[in-house]
Amino acid sequence: MRGHGFLLANYVPGTSLIHRMPLWLKFLLVLACGMASFLIVDWRLAAAALGVLCGLFLLSGAGPVRLFRAVRPLLPILLVIGAFQWWQLGGPVAARIVLNILLCVVAASLLTATTPLHRLLDGVVSLARPFRRFGADPERFALTIAIMLRSIPFIAGAFSDVRDSARARGLERNPRALVLPVFITTVAYARHTGEALAARGLGEPED
Amino acid sequence: MSIISLRNAGVSVAVDGFPDPKVLLQDISLELTEERIGVIGANGSGKSTLLRLLNGLVAPTEGTVTVNGADTVRNVRAVRQQVGFVFTDPLSQLVMPTGREDVELSLRRSVRHGKERREQAAAALDRFGLLPLADQSIYELSGGERQLLALASVLAVEPGVLVLDEPSTLLDLRNRELLRRTLAGLSQQIIMSTHDLELALDMDRVLVVESGQIAYDGGAAAAVEHYRSLSARSLSGGDFR
Repeated sequence: MRGHGFLLANYVPGTSLIHRMPLWLKFLLVLACGMASFLIVDWRLAAAALGVLCGLFLLSGAGPVRLFRAVRPLLPILLVIGAFQWWQLGGPVAARIVLNILLCVVAASLLTATTPLHRLLDGVVSLARPFRRFGADPERFALTIAIMLRSIPFIAGAFSDVRDSARARGLERNPRALVLPVFITTVAYARHTGEALAARGLGEPED
Repeated sequence: MSIISLRNAGVSVAVDGFPDPKVLLQDISLELTEERIGVIGANGSGKSTLLRLLNGLVAPTEGTVTVNGADTVRNVRAVRQQVGFVFTDPLSQLVMPTGREDVELSLRRSVRHGKERREQAAAALDRFGLLPLADQSIYELSGGERQLLALASVLAVEPGVLVLDEPSTLLDLRNRELLRRTLAGLSQQIIMSTHDLELALDMDRVLVVESGQIAYDGGAAAAVEHYRSLSARSLSGGDFR
């Protein structure tokens, strides 16, 4: 499938300071950006914070293309949110909301672009370890995140394939011709993934 | 060599709108001890269901299936540690975005130490000549490379038995030959379903599955001959199912 080729959160190898930063510090940075998005009330401050984060992203060597690819899928949604907020609450509030969302997205992308997935999963396992006393399996947390990262591009790819085949049959305006096949493909994909994990003994409760 | 036993194993599923369950496999009793075992038969004959029984992916609705004494229902975890499963479409099987990550995922349960896990994953990839492609997206790999990667991911945990469900179906001639050579070099017991009769001829024992039952069980050449005559008979009888 054509659209399946892109990867969500793909790692860009490098030796920059951000690459070498401890994982907990990067997690903290993402958390801080998430918090900041609630606390920043001035759009100029949000723009400055986003500027700093973009600067860090480029300093990491991950490149402007990777940065743009992280933000691009969100642009139509941001446009709608921004326009609605502008209409409801005015320009400065709309700018602050859009910039704060971008801040979170760029922070998350900085983490994934400079951290190999296996380290990210190890980090998730470490973070989830305290929940073991409540019966949680930390490996399952990591597995869930890994599957999510793999599944989103698949679903996007399935949508682009279905759209092409609907277009070829002149059904591009028929929402059923678009939604139903994507739904069925996604359910089948989930079943296959479940089987593949089960066959490898992954996702089963720990001893 | 592992001993896989099926005793009066059967699989049936309930189908909406039909009063009786649909029988996928019926009264199969086998002792699989040979190093290379092939499973051939028409589409829908029950080959995949038979293979899925061996790894616990499908539970028998009648009878029992055991791998070295471990029941595939009651002790499925022990069974899956011993029996690796390779699917027809490697993209259904590869869960992670890159080859290295997928092999590491296989090792997460058995190798707790991260550095050791990375080294073992690199060694597993290197064994199949996949190390240079380790960090590429699985979508950028060719069909043959993906199938080898799926194989590497399964073999990384060193199962004693390797079950493959039509592994060459989606491969071109070159990649089929590559897979054939790779399988020939493995020390694992191999149980494989295939439509590639040349590949079936490499096996020590071949089972012919027909309508959920074992229609023939014996040497490769005789089994292939039996399958050919079954297919010819169904064609001449006008049965094109």
